[in-house]
This record gives sequence, C-alpha cells and structure tokens, in this order.
Amino acid sequence: MDRLLLLLPTTTYRTEDFLDAARTLGVDIVCASEKPSTFEPHAPDHLLTVDFADPDAAAARVAELAARRPLNAVVGVDDLTTVAAAAIAERLGLRSNAVAAVAAARDKYQMRQCLAAAGVPIPRFRRIALKDDPFLAARGVAFPCVLKPLALSASRGVIRANNVDQFIAAVRRIAALLRRDDVETGGDAARFLLAEQYVPGVEVALEGLLMGGTLHTLALFDKPDPLEGPFFEETIYVTPSRLPAGVQAAIEGVTASACTALGLGEGPVHAELRVNDDGPWVLEVAARSIGGLCSRTLRFGTGMTLEEIILRHALGWPIATLVRERRPAGVMMIPIPRAGRLVGVRGTEAATAVAGIEEVTITAHVGQELVPLPEGWQYLGFIFARADTPEAVEAALRDAQARLAFEIA
Amino acid sequence: MSDELKAKVQDLIDTMINPAVAGHGGFVELIDVQDNRVYLQMGGGCQGCGAADITLKSGIERLIKEELPEVAEVLDTTDHQSGTNPYYSSGKA
Repeated sequence: MDRLLLLLPTTTYRTEDFLDAARTLGVDIVCASEKPSTFEPHAPDHLLTVDFADPDAAAARVAELAARRPLNAVVGVDDLTTVAAAAIAERLGLRSNAVAAVAAARDKYQMRQCLAAAGVPIPRFRRIALKDDPFLAARGVAFPCVLKPLALSASRGVIRANNVDQFIAAVRRIAALLRRDDVETGGDAARFLLAEQYVPGVEVALEGLLMGGTLHTLALFDKPDPLEGPFFEETIYVTPSRLPAGVQAAIEGVTASACTALGLGEGPVHAELRVNDDGPWVLEVAARSIGGLCSRTLRFGTGMTLEEIILRHALGWPIATLVRERRPAGVMMIPIPRAGRLVGVRGTEAATAVAGIEEVTITAHVGQELVPLPEGWQYLGFIFARADTPEAVEAALRDAQARLAFEIA
Repeated sequence: MSDELKAKVQDLIDTMINPAVAGHGGFVELIDVQDNRVYLQMGGGCQGCGAADITLKSGIERLIKEELPEVAEVLDTTDHQSGTNPYYSSGKA
C-alpha cells in the first residue's frame, strides 16, 4: 500500500477534504502538524509534529520516519506548508517543485521580481522596510497603491491607499498585524511589506494543475463582487467564467508564463489575476490549491474531487480526467461584518432551502472571537450552489446569504 | 457479539482514548456499535476542532482497530458546527 504524508496545519480548513480523498484512494495516511496530536505517542508512524516554518528541520524529521517506513508522496495542503512539503519531497526524492521555486511563490516580493524579469504583466511594485519612516517611504509610490504583507494569504493585511496619509496609516496597521501572536512570520516577511500599483478591473482566480511543466486549467472563477478596497474581502467565486473565450485564453497563457518564470512545474497552482482593457495582470501565483472549503465547488469526471486529483498526481497514479463537470457552480465565503463575539446564527435552514443551494456550512462557532479583515483571516462559513447558469449560481448565493443572520456581541 | 464488542470499545475509550484527548480538553462518547461499525461523538475541545478528523481517523480509529481487529470502521456523529470551545480553530490560507 502506498504511503502518503499530508502536511496539515492545525488551523487549516483543508483537513477534512484531503483526508477524505486519501481514504477514497485507500492509501496509508501519515499526518504531520505543527503542534502535537494527543495520539502521537500511540501512532508514531502515522502522526508526527514538524515545524513548517523550518523546512530543513521538517525534512530531517520526516526522513527519520521514512527510513523506517518509506513514503510515496508528500502533499502540503495550504500556504503554510508548501515550502516544507517541497523540502521534504526533495530530500526523499519524491515528485514536487523545487524548494526555491515554491519559496519564491510564497514571498510576494520575490515572486514579483521573478515575474517582472520574465516579462509577465504585473503591477509596478516596490518593497518597503518597516523600520523606515513611512512618510519618506511613500515618496516615489504612485497612488492609488495596494500594501501587502510579504507572506500572508486570504487577503489578510491587504490595504489600498489613495494618498500619503492613507499609506502611512496602512503601513502602521500592517506592522501591528505582523506583531500579532497569531501571525507567524520571520525573515524578510517580518521586516518588509510590498507596495504595488492598484490595477482597476475585474478579478478572477485560476485553479490549475502543473504536470511536467504544463499548466492544465481545472477551473476559472469569476469574482463578481467588486474588489476595490480599502480591504479586499473575497466573497463569491463562480465557475465557469463569463469572460469571453479570448480573454480566458489570455488569462491561462499569462498564468502559465508566470508558473514557468517561477520555476513551478508540478502540482496544484492557485492564481489570482486582474483583467482590464490592457489584458490580464498577475497578482498572485501560489503553489497550492484553492483555500477554505471552496474546492467543494469542483467535481471532475464522474465525481472526483480536486483533492483526489492532487493526491493522484503526487502519487504518480493515473488521473482519468481533468475536465470539470459542465454544470456551473459557486461558493460564497461569508465575510465577518464586524469584530465581536459570535452569539448565534439564524436562517441556516432558510438559506439551504434556496433553489440551487447545495450546502450551507457555518465554520465559526458560537462564542468565537471574530476578527474582520484586514487583521482577520477566517470566515463565518461557506455557501455552495449549483445551477444551470453562472448568473443563477450567483443569484442563489446572494439570496442564501441574505437569509442568514449572525448575532455578534 | 455487539454488546461484547461495545463493552470492549467502551473500555478502550475509558482507559486509553479519553485520557489522551483530555490533554486538549476533549472527550469521546460511545454512541453505538452496529455491524462492527463504531459510532462515536466528540465533545469539549474536540468538538469543532480543526484537527478532530486527524484525531478520529489517525488516532482513535487506528488504536481501536489495532486492539479490536474485528472493528471495520469508526464513524464520527459529532455536530462539529455546535462546538463552542474547539482546541484549534480553522482559517483560510
């Protein structure tokens, strides 16, 4: 039986879907997290603790295990684990991207340097040292601009600034965010942030799989809610895209060029792009699959999940098809409207009853301290829909969300 | 057979499983055993925990199957959405 190592942070939404896929494949599952499982002493060959922030140490730790019980594949399930997964795979000679390529994709400044050098269309950018006077740092920055931490995801810490005053406030707010106990950053990510040109236009997300250096597009999602700032809260994703075929082809081409420029050649890729009259602009390319529970919108062939495709590829198993089902699908990530403590949720049954809605999953728990963007990184839950048209999917998601009421004290 | 198996599972829960998950403020209750399938419910820090699935399948199920090979599967009946004090909370990354 093939043995699969999954890198599962204790805080990821992705655990259930990856574990379900691994069970479907019938592989022997080894789980590694950054904090110990209460059962690790009982199952040392199947549960282990590794430091995702120290890829070399993680690789050494896993190599000890693999020496006793060899592994056939390693998969990092989200952003926190991609570099460690690549380091482990490199050490064990398993299928993966090069560590340097994944590390470049994980660092927004390095990524932009790679993409700019390769001529991939990206916004103008510069790195800002947090120790510098933000008033002086604002010199030479064209407005409007967008400020971002170098290594956080899910739009956390992403703030638009239209002038110097807003720039200074945003720098200070991001600096404070990076000092929070629940933010783990080190090296350049703790000392710098990124300032880049604000690019007007619509935003899309491309979900793909790289196989032998070739990008296979699995889904292209429209994001119908405008993302204009000051914060960039993601809400609705709908696939297939309603953009013209020529524009979709250009998005795929630019994303493929970005992957090549970064040196990514194997495994999942999640890219975010802006599109306007000048064409597609790459905002992010991550060497991982889509975050949250959003992958549940995707089914391939006769019902294969995105996670099953990723695991099959990592294991070197055949994949029957990479073609997504034809029926339009979408997800709403339910945003946190304001800070406070969740007291209760009403309307779940009514939301689920909306035509086209498949599932309403509330992931926040009663009593949970809610932190909205830009400091927060969680959602209240997820709504999933399928319908005959993308427009109907979007309408169902909006209708369902309107029926939900969250009491926050 | 089912009652006998149920008693053995309960003994494992009392002596090995609950002492382990208590470290994270959690506990496990045996709901039933039917057709060699064990139905459990998780509570405390396990209910709604981001790592509950790992605990159940890679910890609890593995332990039960090792001790009681006649067990075919361990299934979680917990309403994780109602958990009010999960040990780990999930987020998008």
